[in-house]
Amino acid sequence: MARSLTLVGALGYRNLRDHSVAFEVLERLSEADLGPGVVLEDVSYNPIAVVQWLQAQPADQQFDRVIVVSSIERAGRAPGAVSVYEWDRVVPCDALVQQAVTEAVTGIISLDNTLVIAGYFGALPAAVTIVEIEPLEHEYGDHLSAEVMHAMGSVVTLVRDMVHERSLGA
Amino acid sequence: MCFKNLPVEFDERGQPFLRGGIPDPYTAATAPANVPLQLSQEQVEELVRRNGHVKSVDFDPVTRVAGALAFHAVADLKEGRVLEARSVATLFRGYEVIMVGRDPRDAIFITSRACGVCGGVHSTCSALAIEMAIDCVPPPLGILVRNLALSLEFLYDHPLHLHLLAGPDYSAAIVEPTNPALFARAKRTEAPHAEVHGYRTIAALMEDLNPLSGKLYVEALHMTRLAREAYVLICGKYPHPQTIVPGGMSSTITLTVMNEMFVRLSQFFDYSKKIASIWDDLTEFFYEANPRYKDVGRRRANMIDTGIFDHPDAYDASYKNADAWGNRRWATPGAIVDGELRTTDLHTINMGLEEFVEHSYYDEWTGDGQRQRFATDPAGKPLSPYHPWNKITKPRPEGQNWKEKYTWDTAPRWDRLGMEAGCYSRLWSTAVAQKLPKNPFIEATGHSLKVRVPKGALPEMDLEWHVPAVWNAFERNRARAHCVAFTSMVAMNNWMAAMDRLKNGDTRTSVPFEIPKTGERLGVGFWGAGRGYLTHHLVLDRGAVSNYQIVTPSTWNASPTDRWGQPGPYEEAVMNTPLLEETLGTEEFRGIDVLRAIRSFDPCMPCTTHIHSDAGVITREVNTCACGVDG
Repeated sequence: MARSLTLVGALGYRNLRDHSVAFEVLERLSEADLGPGVVLEDVSYNPIAVVQWLQAQPADQQFDRVIVVSSIERAGRAPGAVSVYEWDRVVPCDALVQQAVTEAVTGIISLDNTLVIAGYFGALPAAVTIVEIEPLEHEYGDHLSAEVMHAMGSVVTLVRDMVHERSLGA
Repeated sequence: MCFKNLPVEFDERGQPFLRGGIPDPYTAATAPANVPLQLSQEQVEELVRRNGHVKSVDFDPVTRVAGALAFHAVADLKEGRVLEARSVATLFRGYEVIMVGRDPRDAIFITSRACGVCGGVHSTCSALAIEMAIDCVPPPLGILVRNLALSLEFLYDHPLHLHLLAGPDYSAAIVEPTNPALFARAKRTEAPHAEVHGYRTIAALMEDLNPLSGKLYVEALHMTRLAREAYVLICGKYPHPQTIVPGGMSSTITLTVMNEMFVRLSQFFDYSKKIASIWDDLTEFFYEANPRYKDVGRRRANMIDTGIFDHPDAYDASYKNADAWGNRRWATPGAIVDGELRTTDLHTINMGLEEFVEHSYYDEWTGDGQRQRFATDPAGKPLSPYHPWNKITKPRPEGQNWKEKYTWDTAPRWDRLGMEAGCYSRLWSTAVAQKLPKNPFIEATGHSLKVRVPKGALPEMDLEWHVPAVWNAFERNRARAHCVAFTSMVAMNNWMAAMDRLKNGDTRTSVPFEIPKTGERLGVGFWGAGRGYLTHHLVLDRGAVSNYQIVTPSTWNASPTDRWGQPGPYEEAVMNTPLLEETLGTEEFRGIDVLRAIRSFDPCMPCTTHIHSDAGVITREVNTCACGVDG
């Protein structure tokens, strides 16, 4: 039976209050028993380089599932709200892809850009799950808001369960 | 006289001293002479009121976590001129505040995160600042490998900028709709260097600059992949390296690693020839088609660079000897004013550095009983109260007001002049200073830089970059293209020197170190990013960071207007840019010349650059990552 390999990627900004929550999630997951075949990785950098990192994985170590944890502002969501969804793999028109590339190569770190660019260049597996957390605090600093701190526990449990389900199913 | 505006003079031995008889010399020093000035707000308001074709436009930043650089302009759409330009960084990341009280080693990892692209340069700059503060000198192989790592990072950056960010602005997809007559001319114009890059006409070249699908775009992605692979061999990860430490590199370097690196580096030989000839041909084509393109992004040739790539026989990590080891770097430090190289001395470059916050969201840290922390540098040379070692980062968010404060970026100045940073600055000072170590590949002539690129599929070739007569967007891109060859050959020189070390059994890449827990110590990392100048100024107090100040290329380039009304480099370049688009005044107007001007700086902040016309009003969104706008 082929080995199942899952990437749990944290995407955000360190030392930027609630935008750092994904790293906290990864830190806690690193202390949990996730079983074999799970890679925890900070993917918070230029998405072109993220694509190149994904494509540089050896043939027998390609990820067959990616879970991305990220804080991101979405209209109409309460701070600390958690949204989980399967990425729909819809890539926008070329002009918008190039806009994302433009931002990427100049240092922007963004969930949407990363998905657009990685999707466009075919670097993501079929199964991509996104776990979003609505931030409240956007200032520099290393403390999460109470709302996001509260949400973090459930996100850790959620991702751990997703990883376990996957390994059971594989 | 090196300084024209600062109150610093030099004695007959060349030692600087503070001009006497002035009670508060840095405050009293006169405003810089002969510099461009922004229009006053009253003048702008009057122009807008009296002329229907003069439009004042605020550009809302794209809302992103990464922060944003908005760009406010007032444009005369009849005359095709920009009358006022304001560069606005809208996010504070606070690295300088976060660092206070920490173990200095944290800086290597924390400051790397200042950017999503060029983390390695911040890590390295931190390591250099710590080395200076704790008297720790890396072994020769550690210095050589560090040079290799960072040259590989630049070989990632340059193609990425040239063909993924700037290149599309010169592509058929953009030129044909914005300047149809120009594109028609491109179809008729034969490319002078067709035998090198393979494109018979300029139009064919432009076709392959098209975003996403153009062959040059795709090739640039491939080349960055190679650079990244080679970088990872040394640094473990890209863009945030894991092996940079004070006192060298923690990597294990073997002949196998070196050979793997060479396989990738050697693929830049032909690419260097191709990319330089492409940007030579493009630049000359635009100039010949319309000489006014020489005004796109034009500004004074005022540049600053700390130099980069140390020589293992010279670098001793000391501030005292910084002039000596700085001048033996593979890229020579330099402060260039109006095209003239004023100094290559790192002490003098450091002495002339000040940061101002009149138009920035920070509180002033001088005056009102504040004692200047350091009156002199560790070599006893005078320092301004506005120097980074004296600066205290005091963020104060408030509403935007063009007369008052409007950005999170500060206004760094050298000798009170707006300077720009870029890889081209290092090319310029290296070419003019003629201080390069002897080597088989690169020669500085005093007015140009000759790079002999070895044979690949293409024959060995001598490329020559000439110090240009005019400084503008095209020359920035052309110089950056020549930087690919320059950087590749710097890497080759260091690769060969490292191989010699390895063959002689020298495998040591780092030395042990300890952070002293007593006393106050100063350090500064004089390094460079792919985008040019980078400094980290560090003050250690009993082993912990008591002050940490970062000045990046984009801090210089995106800086706001200063206390004397002198615009920052983006602002100045945009104010000088003529709107040459054939669609000016129509719904199709994109403002491409303004975009070319801003993008030519290789902003570590993306001009997201959808400019569109809305009833004759330019509406543009320009946003940025946090790198470069921090404190």
